[in-house]
Amino acid sequence: MNSAQLEIQLIASLVAVACAIPGTFLVLRKMAMISDAISHSILPGIVVGFFITQDLNSPLLIVLAALTGVITVVLVEYIQKTGLVKEDTAIGLVFPVLFSIGVLMIAKRANDIHLDIDAVLVGELALAPFDRLIISGVDVGPKSLWIIGSILIITIILLIAFFKELKLSTFDKGLAASLGFSPVIIHYGLMTVSSVTTVGAFDAVGAILVVALMIAPSATAYLLTTDLKKMLLLSIIFGVFSAISGYWFAHWLDASIAGSITTMLGFLFLMVYLFAPSKGVIAVLYREKQQRTEVSLLTFLLHLKNHDEVQERHVNHLNEHINWQKVRSKTVLDLALKNNMIIIDNHIVSLTSKGDEFTTQAIDYIITNEDAQIEDMKDDFFLFRG
Amino acid sequence: MSHKIAVQVDDLTVAYNYKPVLWDIDLEIPEGVLMAIVGPNGAGKSTLIKSILGILKPIAGSVSIYGKSYEKQRSLVAYVPQKGSVDWDFPTTALDVVLMGTYGSLGWIKRPKQKQKKAALEALEKVGMLPFKNRQISQLSGGQQQRIFLARALVQDASIYFMDEPFQGVDATTEIAIINILKELRKAGKTVIVVHHDLQTVPEYFDWVTFLNVKKIATGPVKDIFNDDNLTKTYGINYKVSIQE
Repeated sequence: MNSAQLEIQLIASLVAVACAIPGTFLVLRKMAMISDAISHSILPGIVVGFFITQDLNSPLLIVLAALTGVITVVLVEYIQKTGLVKEDTAIGLVFPVLFSIGVLMIAKRANDIHLDIDAVLVGELALAPFDRLIISGVDVGPKSLWIIGSILIITIILLIAFFKELKLSTFDKGLAASLGFSPVIIHYGLMTVSSVTTVGAFDAVGAILVVALMIAPSATAYLLTTDLKKMLLLSIIFGVFSAISGYWFAHWLDASIAGSITTMLGFLFLMVYLFAPSKGVIAVLYREKQQRTEVSLLTFLLHLKNHDEVQERHVNHLNEHINWQKVRSKTVLDLALKNNMIIIDNHIVSLTSKGDEFTTQAIDYIITNEDAQIEDMKDDFFLFRG
Repeated sequence: MSHKIAVQVDDLTVAYNYKPVLWDIDLEIPEGVLMAIVGPNGAGKSTLIKSILGILKPIAGSVSIYGKSYEKQRSLVAYVPQKGSVDWDFPTTALDVVLMGTYGSLGWIKRPKQKQKKAALEALEKVGMLPFKNRQISQLSGGQQQRIFLARALVQDASIYFMDEPFQGVDATTEIAIINILKELRKAGKTVIVVHHDLQTVPEYFDWVTFLNVKKIATGPVKDIFNDDNLTKTYGINYKVSIQE
């Protein structure tokens, strides 16, 4: 691995971390689409900045682009407040207009110089190591690395300082306002950080893929944890993992680095979506099946408890009577037998004392539905689970 | 009862998109009452609370808490929003939500410490939710979520409590548990203001009532003003409830 490769991976990883932090809060605030809007509409800000400075890495570009990002949010909210259109429509109205103004400006004035539409859309991560930052004759590394590094440090400082405020205003805007933590200030603070991060990441991954880096790692983490700090940490890990594995995937395919990183993000989400321990599709299906069996078992035990007559408790009669198919009856019978809930004597099923006690408890649980009792019962009631 | 005024509202008018939802409200809430705000849907009950708490900006009028503006008296006031106003899938625990009640006294940047955590645990204990402290909030029943919200208000240790429909979607056990805590608060000299829907329980739960329907219809002790006349004026139809004394 040469130093250019290392630098590209380092830049990609820092971009991923810088995106994952505001991204987590955007996902929780149900504002994922706003990041899409910002990432596109900052283009005119970047272009105007470039016209003024003739330097793609000038801090003025970041300031102007971040300003355009915040203007986007203001415009979206203004249109939405008129009550004439909904939020998603307002987003769809604002960002293409701003983005296309940027596209026109590039086509008219900057087409033959460094800024071109391709780079705007998917970035030029592979070229990042060639643009060096030289301080008094000494090469201190790629400029993009310094830009995204600085943005990341500021983001982390803000996150640590205002974590409590961000959490409160994201969860409960009303309480935040009544306690004196202006949700408006926090909202625009987050929007500013998101805009600045987008500008920093723009150069590396472009306008389309920066959205993926903001949203996908947090959406993946959200499926795995119920703790905000862990969610942030997992988003960062997923982002960095995708950045590095995406780089090598691109290396192997000899294809776009940004495209490969995004593909990795999508793949990672799919895996977690399928296999997450509690919210994953497979876990949910398994749990539903378990619950169906539990309910069947309870129905069966209740039937036994309610009927002393021998003919009501004959194995074959149960098949017909509860109207279950053979397979299901067998599953339930086996389960009850295995847990010593019933005994079968000469095709007649009877509750054991354990089965009787369990049934009584379960009925109590269902009827009273008391919070405290549910707590005590849960372990017993779901004794067949996991 | 003391005659100190806890909350005073003068000429308050609030509008959404130029349509008034509250019109020229004058209201004096004496210290130490347990007051219900009743009125039909769209009467502006929640809006009134939110305007008093500075969450909504009125187009006219003023509010004072013990004679001073709300901004100066924040620490005296606790607020329980409607349960439906937040996303219960938010990745956090019951204890953490209750801890949010301490954020106001902490101010910007400072983090909750051991002292705040202890207060939060005590509040959880008071509402009978201590065994659930580490439970993710989406794993709680509607009644439990409401108790968590109540605990969060208790931990603020305020003088005035505003609650927006605390009985919405809770079971009978939780409703009784909540009203007992509210009555305890009143006994301790606190002022409790509740947006309430169930007219039948007003005489049993509350000692003070405000009838609201965009304008203020009446306010005063339940025994004096909770009658068919005011109910009819508020709800617009010939309303009759049997009032148990």
